[in-house]
Amino acid sequence: MTGSAARTIAPLAAAAALLLGGLTPQAQQAALVSKRNANYSIDVDLDPASRTLTGRQVVTWRNITGHPTSELQFHLYYNAWRSTASTFMREQSRMFRELGWERMPTPRRNEWGWIDVTAIRLLGTPPTPFVDLTGSERFIAPDDGNRDDRTVMQVRLPKPVPPGGSLTIELAWTAHVPRTIARTGAVGNFFFIGQWFPKLGVLQQDGWNTHQFHATTEFFSDYGVYDVRITVPSRWLVGATGRATQRLELPSGRTTHRFVAEDVHDFAWTTSPAFLERQARFEPPGLPAVDMRLLVQPEHLSQVDRLFAATRATLLQYGRWYGRYPYGHLTIVDPAWQSDAGGMEYPTLFTTDTRWLAPAGSVDPEDVTVHEAGHQFWYGLVGTNEFEHAWLDEGVNTFSTARVLARELEPRYFQLRAFGDFIPWMIRDVRLSREDHDGLAAYRDAARSDALATPSWQYDPRQFHAITYSKTAVWLDMLERTIGWPRLQRGLSLFFTRYRFTHPGSREFFATVQEGAGGDLSHFFEEMRGSNVLDYGVQQLTSAPLRILGMTGGAVQPAETDTRPKPSPDTQPSVPAARQQPLAFSDRTVPNQYVTELIVRRYGEVVLPVDVEVTFENGERVRERWDGRERWRLYRWERPVRARAAQVDPDRVLVADLNRTNNSRSLQPRGAQAAAKWSLAWMVWMQDALLTWASLL
Amino acid sequence: MSTAGTSEPRRRTGALRVFLAGVSRVGSAPAILAGVWLLTVAVSLPATLRLASSIENDLGPSLAAEAAADGVNWTWWQEFAHRHPAAARTFSPAIIGFAAVVRNVGEFLDHGPGALNATAGGAAYLLLWTFLLGGVLDRYARGRRTHAAGFFAASGVFFFRFLRLGAIALVAWTLVFAFVQPLLFERIYPAIVRDVTVERTAFVWRLLCYAVFLALLALMTLLFDYARVRAVVEDRRSMLAALAASGRFIRRHPAAVLGVFAINLGLYAAMLVFYAIAAPSAAGGSTGGVILRLLAGQVYILGRLFAKLTMYASEVALFQDRLAHAAYTARPQAAWPDAPIVEAIGEGPRLAG
Repeated sequence: MTGSAARTIAPLAAAAALLLGGLTPQAQQAALVSKRNANYSIDVDLDPASRTLTGRQVVTWRNITGHPTSELQFHLYYNAWRSTASTFMREQSRMFRELGWERMPTPRRNEWGWIDVTAIRLLGTPPTPFVDLTGSERFIAPDDGNRDDRTVMQVRLPKPVPPGGSLTIELAWTAHVPRTIARTGAVGNFFFIGQWFPKLGVLQQDGWNTHQFHATTEFFSDYGVYDVRITVPSRWLVGATGRATQRLELPSGRTTHRFVAEDVHDFAWTTSPAFLERQARFEPPGLPAVDMRLLVQPEHLSQVDRLFAATRATLLQYGRWYGRYPYGHLTIVDPAWQSDAGGMEYPTLFTTDTRWLAPAGSVDPEDVTVHEAGHQFWYGLVGTNEFEHAWLDEGVNTFSTARVLARELEPRYFQLRAFGDFIPWMIRDVRLSREDHDGLAAYRDAARSDALATPSWQYDPRQFHAITYSKTAVWLDMLERTIGWPRLQRGLSLFFTRYRFTHPGSREFFATVQEGAGGDLSHFFEEMRGSNVLDYGVQQLTSAPLRILGMTGGAVQPAETDTRPKPSPDTQPSVPAARQQPLAFSDRTVPNQYVTELIVRRYGEVVLPVDVEVTFENGERVRERWDGRERWRLYRWERPVRARAAQVDPDRVLVADLNRTNNSRSLQPRGAQAAAKWSLAWMVWMQDALLTWASLL
Repeated sequence: MSTAGTSEPRRRTGALRVFLAGVSRVGSAPAILAGVWLLTVAVSLPATLRLASSIENDLGPSLAAEAAADGVNWTWWQEFAHRHPAAARTFSPAIIGFAAVVRNVGEFLDHGPGALNATAGGAAYLLLWTFLLGGVLDRYARGRRTHAAGFFAASGVFFFRFLRLGAIALVAWTLVFAFVQPLLFERIYPAIVRDVTVERTAFVWRLLCYAVFLALLALMTLLFDYARVRAVVEDRRSMLAALAASGRFIRRHPAAVLGVFAINLGLYAAMLVFYAIAAPSAAGGSTGGVILRLLAGQVYILGRLFAKLTMYASEVALFQDRLAHAAYTARPQAAWPDAPIVEAIGEGPRLAG
């Protein structure tokens, strides 16, 4: 290699090494695939008439921890909808009550969901081809001890699996697809099948991590290879995780579709005869190409371009900011109306959510499309535990979604929906900002309710969304404005590339982001993890003519340049070098001189440095930096002009400040003008409301 | 006065000409339009002032007021909603321009008048309208100036009669909004669309439900409207009889009644379309801008009031055209018996026993 080539390549190699977490070339290659310790080969048959799934799966599992295990634990998510006695249904019922929603809809007799494992065989080698474990399984409830909850199944093994050891286990099962609940199920001839098969939990150093299915949390499982063969009626389109590799027409008027997905931790699929299919290929410069497959409802055909555009924007920006999307394909599912399957993510497949009438500039469908596409990175590639640290995928993704929307898909406006929510009316006077996409308003309402440090499944369900999604996004937005996007991007990118195909927790997140960003962010992250609120404000601002009131005169110390002759040595010193002026009472206003006093106060508990700025009537701006530690600070200036206004955090860095109204004070307030304008606008609404009442007369 | 019926059939006026007659009667009594507009302002003013005070106190001397005055300060607005959740139920972006109408009509159809969150004001407004309605109908029926004294005298005469009628209407409307509307929109409609997976299909069903509901509202409105018209034009005292008479009139002249109603509805729809196009935005904080926005809003309100009054005037004109003309009397002229003293004088002195 020549010297010039080496000089060119070396920095590139260093940059690549940094991106890949400083790994060796061998480790870098290994980092592009997962550990593949949980591999599934599944055959499933759907009978749409009876809404029954009949399945058989062979799971090959490897113990990648440092200790042996004598059991396996499987998620049986469908049993959450077996009856109202499950933990999920109890929690959801409580949520409905506490939120004051209408009575929770009760499924009809044939609309409940369940899954029954009918056979379990531990596969071996001759002379013992298998060990029948059927009947040895039992249901456990590690979170709340609910004996009626059957969402976690424990299977005891005849022999422990040592570290590094593996086993192959076969399960047969039947399941009933519920009417859609928690984004999975069926309505009409639309089926969305998620969390549908017995799925292994995650064995970690401290044991199995297999939470029960809760009303507010999602999922957690290991990476592997999925080879799934789905049999449905012919002419029903099928979309699924992975790539379609084979299609077999059966003589019974049914078709088997085979999908294979590598390095994913879940598998979902959908089928319906009503889907229309559209395809597009995205080839971003510097990033891998992605084949996009869209399964769209006929009534949303006019939105195909918007759906693809939003997906492209996500793949492009996330790819540039964080790292490559390696799969090469992505399926976008536009679910049927009333299916409640919209707005959900699965590896290499996601569901969007839109309406028949979705004017440009409304939140539909771009917001959900970007968010769910973004989950391919945060959740799909970085497999965080959605039971315990839901904010790591939902919050980080919400932050990223807001960036994409603000950068690529502005403007978006406030939208009213009326007449049964069918008719949209855009209010273009209210333009949504990035803070709206972060969810600042939701965070403000729930700021004190929970801490990020609390495991997500223990959150108050009423505030779950606000804390998980909005608080994280708001605080990351604030971090970006504090340290700058380049530093934060380096930190997030390092976290992404270092922990792809693994299961990092919050500790890894904070440590790695700080490492990549540089500097000490420990205090910031400490505040972020807690439940303290941030609120700085202006308590008082005055600016008045400088007035001197009191006694003047008396002894006046000489100036250093006193040139008066010194007394001779033989004269009595009567007065020291100080001069005497006659004492007099004075009450005078110094002309053209004003004293401005500003008191700023920390109303919240969060301590962060903040800028304080005062603006004078001549346009001069003076800015000070306050460390924000004390409860209040006084600033004082003397100027030949009055102050006009003062602000705390004039650049709006502290996004999480819950009360921006108190951040400023003007000495020429226009509150009365604003009040008149808006109250008169409201009066027209009130008059119209009264006339609507009067239509009864 | 001639007795009932004439030998020749009367020529009836078409619905459009009746409507134009109604417009003419409203136009010839601008004081009524001004009066009901002032009523609308007066009822909404106290709450408006309370809201203005809340907004001003909340903004204080903050610079947030500048953005709120010059345009929309969405950040402040959301903070205000957080600090004043009760006010925020109605003070939302849905008050801007035509969104206010969309929201009010939508909420009324989906959830009834209570969903407008203006129940106290609405009830007071209905009561005051009930008082004025007698004078309004009387003025339109006479087709000439009645002056303030005559107007309020008629209002006073018919106020308690209309209160009695209003009590019946209250029961009827309560049944409609407490039972019929929830039955239609919270039970029947959801049951119909439960397994519908195409939003357009569900919307068609929703429109059908609206049509059924609106037809019921229209029928009840016409029933009570013509009861009031007959009460005033014929000086009826029994409101139950007026209701029955209203039903007979509608049954015997369905085409005309519906035609006049439809044309008036068209006028209302035209007002809505105009406001949808012309409704001002929230931008601009100058005094001129505030006044312009207020004027635009009040022109719309005046338009709605004009349409409402035209409906009443048209109904009066239709009834008078069909029945209350010179050749018709509703019933034989009432002949009250003379007082006993009159009878005694006429018969001459009678000796006791």
